[in-house]
Amino acid sequence: MPRFERIAYKPIPVRELLSEMKNLSELMIDLAYSAALFNDKELAEDVLALESRIDTLSYLLDIEVMVAARGDPRDAEALIGVSTVAAATNKISDAAADIAAIVTRNIGVHPIVSSVFEKVQERLAKATVKEGSTIAGKHVGKLDLAARMGVDIIAIRRNKDWIINPEENEHILAGDILITRGAPQGTKQFKDLAEGKLTKLEETY
Amino acid sequence: MTEQKQFEEIVAQFVELKDTSELMMDLAYSSLLLNNRDLAEEVQRLEEYMDKLHTDFELRALTSDFKKEEASGFLGLIRLGVATEKIADAAAEMAEVVLRGIEPHPVLKLTIKEAEETVTQACVSSDSLLVNKTLKEARVHEQTGMWILAIRRGEKTLRPKGDTTIQTGDLLIASGYAEGVDDLKKLASPAQVCQVE
Repeated sequence: MPRFERIAYKPIPVRELLSEMKNLSELMIDLAYSAALFNDKELAEDVLALESRIDTLSYLLDIEVMVAARGDPRDAEALIGVSTVAAATNKISDAAADIAAIVTRNIGVHPIVSSVFEKVQERLAKATVKEGSTIAGKHVGKLDLAARMGVDIIAIRRNKDWIINPEENEHILAGDILITRGAPQGTKQFKDLAEGKLTKLEETY
Repeated sequence: MTEQKQFEEIVAQFVELKDTSELMMDLAYSSLLLNNRDLAEEVQRLEEYMDKLHTDFELRALTSDFKKEEASGFLGLIRLGVATEKIADAAAEMAEVVLRGIEPHPVLKLTIKEAEETVTQACVSSDSLLVNKTLKEARVHEQTGMWILAIRRGEKTLRPKGDTTIQTGDLLIASGYAEGVDDLKKLASPAQVCQVE
């Protein structure tokens, strides 16, 4: 049985809550597919933890929306749209948790799925940072991957832990396992960089 | 058909479910940002398409010649499919906000605009290198990192295909990381004189 605790009310602007819900729900989808494709239990468990974060955000957002709607039916009507979108991000995060549960409950996904995914142009990739790679020792922010290659590091596995959605000032170390999402072409290039097959970060555009 | 080939086709169907559900999310957010009914209706059409595709996918998975010891892996695949359907439903619910005919709340527009992965629109001016190029030739994604989700041409909304030719006055609706928005706008209207709406 899951445990439900009383959520303490904190005044947070709706915009901040919704932003976090949107970003987090999309991140969770990508992390969950990665966990399923790479059959990674720890990553799947982290997705489940994020799911409860979204539940909390959703609860706080409902409070804010109700407070904001006081009095005016037209305001209330426009705010229903906000609630609906927030509820949809919550549903998306539920779907991500469902995917993660395939891994945590030991059902697993048939290996052919991963092999087909490698062949199609996929946005998700896993790369291990080799000793001597150009990116080893660099800050995530300094690589400026989103602008240069259309790629984003969504998780780093170091020792036994996953660092989810690493901050700009996080260092990349040799031996790290990185999960990235983004443009297929940039993804391939980034994998080559991490694995030391490419040494220069080329400008693709 | 060999088993391998049969399985690969089932996974290819799943990939299509996954891609369609993600496209629907992007289109739903775009429809909210632009308060655009056509895009919202496109999401609803895709939802119907997903329903059909999903049923077909499940039937094929269930009737394929998997071995007993592969049942768990096939169950996992089927559950992945169910998740894509759930994501598609969520996108359709978002699009409904637009179809109800109420101007989306400003907070929604701000949130979508400022998100890490955003949606944007760019108008194609006559001096753009994109004019008269097919989408395949234009390589917009390679140049800007932005995916074109839809093209608004006059009253029509076109779904992008490789052989779609870009014309002056087209409004490109695209998604991607916020970093690519300016690149796309520069590519579509270099002199910044293009205005639609």
